[in-house]
Amino acid sequence: MSAMPEVDGEGRAELMLALLADARLPTGGHTQSAGLEPALRAGMPAAQVPDYVRARLATVTRVEAATAVVARHVALAAGPVPDGAGSPPAGGASSAGVPDGVASAARGLADTWLAWTARTPSSALRETSRRLGRGYLRLLRRLSEGHPAVVALDEAAVLVADAPRADGVPDPGAGATSAARAVPGAGTDPGGRAATGRRAPQPPRPVVLGVTAACAGLSARQVARLVGYEDVQTVAAATLKLEPVDPVVATGWVVAAQPAIDALARAVADLTDPRAIPAHGAPLVEQWAELHSRTTERLFSA
Amino acid sequence: MDDVTRVGAYREAGRVRCDLRPGALSPRVLSAGRGTARVALVATRALLLGGDHVRVEVHVGEGVELELVEVSGTVAYAGRGRSASWDVDVRVDARGLLVWDALPFVVADGADVARSTGVALAAGDAHGAGGAALLRETLVLGRSGEAGGRLRSRTRVDVSAPGATRTSGGVGGTGELAAPEGSGPPWQNDPAGPEHVRELFVEDLDLGDDRALPGILGDARVVDSVLCLGTRPPAPASVPEETTAPRRPPPRTSAPFGPLRLDLDGPGAVARHLGASTHDAGIDVVVAAWTTAAREARAAVAGPPRDATPSPSVAAPVDTDHTDPRTTLLTTGA
Repeated sequence: MSAMPEVDGEGRAELMLALLADARLPTGGHTQSAGLEPALRAGMPAAQVPDYVRARLATVTRVEAATAVVARHVALAAGPVPDGAGSPPAGGASSAGVPDGVASAARGLADTWLAWTARTPSSALRETSRRLGRGYLRLLRRLSEGHPAVVALDEAAVLVADAPRADGVPDPGAGATSAARAVPGAGTDPGGRAATGRRAPQPPRPVVLGVTAACAGLSARQVARLVGYEDVQTVAAATLKLEPVDPVVATGWVVAAQPAIDALARAVADLTDPRAIPAHGAPLVEQWAELHSRTTERLFSA
Repeated sequence: MDDVTRVGAYREAGRVRCDLRPGALSPRVLSAGRGTARVALVATRALLLGGDHVRVEVHVGEGVELELVEVSGTVAYAGRGRSASWDVDVRVDARGLLVWDALPFVVADGADVARSTGVALAAGDAHGAGGAALLRETLVLGRSGEAGGRLRSRTRVDVSAPGATRTSGGVGGTGELAAPEGSGPPWQNDPAGPEHVRELFVEDLDLGDDRALPGILGDARVVDSVLCLGTRPPAPASVPEETTAPRRPPPRTSAPFGPLRLDLDGPGAVARHLGASTHDAGIDVVVAAWTTAAREARAAVAGPPRDATPSPSVAAPVDTDHTDPRTTLLTTGA
């Protein structure tokens, strides 16, 4: 140990990857079964869990991973933290308005957000993702306070709130256009509440995760694998609480899914355009999610 | 071989003028009134064979209601190694409405079909509603006793500024002049960027080898959907057997719920039934209810602002012959 080492970007990225994949992360992951609970309730035998995992990795999880990959890519346009030290700089973004990089990242994030929304027809799945996104956002704000990408995400929320509803009918409660613009100064209010009292729209989990990946220095492939792994592990862990399965067997499922996770990562890692995000639907997953959201007797939230 | 079928319906001199171009399907006007038209689509030859690439382009002009009626469902036959495609490209201008209660699309054993449905709706502005479409899509995997071939069905619904050019180059050439550029001020700030287009619904159903996996289709053979686009259909109270939470005895089967309603994040919804056959689908009821609602919504806004639309006559006559020819058809199709 001679002098203080330079910031080790690779080491930090590796630690962040481990952290984000850890079920102990305080983001509410323990409330999730990745749709497994309603799937079992609908009659799927536990022996089919590996097939269920495969189905998800080819469909909804692919959309999720692609969204995170694109969000990461567009968030990078916001640029690095100004002083480069990785610590929250005093003041954050320049007070003289939003820098170009941040504005461009914000537009990209809003496009990504809207693209995900159009590819997620189930309101139950959208709601679950927003709820999880909230937990991730809380963490992101604390870990990367003042990072330009976080500022861009707040700006993106304003753009999404302003996006035309396309039916000529104003969004109920809309009108927080310029008023909300005062709010986004990074971390002003962790709840993301607009000045008007209306809640700013909550970004879905993959968008927040993509921004987190950009701040943490994760590669596109890392974030795609992370999403895939996280989904499989969520299913496997939830199975243990719902069915009599040996934990070692369930862990084996996760390892066995590795080729499918890698295939997913390869398929989405190069995406940069929100409109190119795949839209693979899984009709039964959507149906089960909707039914589950109206069920009171349940162990997992989703 | 040019297999493009075009149907355009435009307001002209107080009536609806239909602009038809036959392709693999032959469009025939059943009726045309002051604000509405009904057009039948009749197959001109055996469809759909391997190597067939059928394309249907529909353009509904401002303030027009167009109803498309099919006389028979479509069977995609074994292609002997050749794939087939079925592309539909729809554009609906402001205050227009397309109603297309399409008949079943059956994918026989050995068929390999790519379906794509592109819908571009004009956005609503402060003065009125945008374009709206009510589309039925009944995908049947296999005739009776068959497992069915491969099907990939893609849907992309965009809401675009009035006058924004449609990228796919589909419905051009119908001679309809676009609204002047810049007539949709809200779109200047649209985060969707220079395209002036916002995606409302994008879905890619890849129903190949993996479709039987739990979560995709399981053992369901039929994906029966109705898409209500550009307007939000009425509350699900009108849907019979609204899927209440499976309270005590959880159903131990994977499919037989009533039609499920998916509310899009925007003006639109999808109702979908997954099952072993279409006969048990409550989707017909949903189609009828949503169609009525879409017509009423259009009539409500189409009235005062511009040329008066004969709103009462819009709903009445078409509704009367809206009885369902599907049941008989299914027996021949599937």
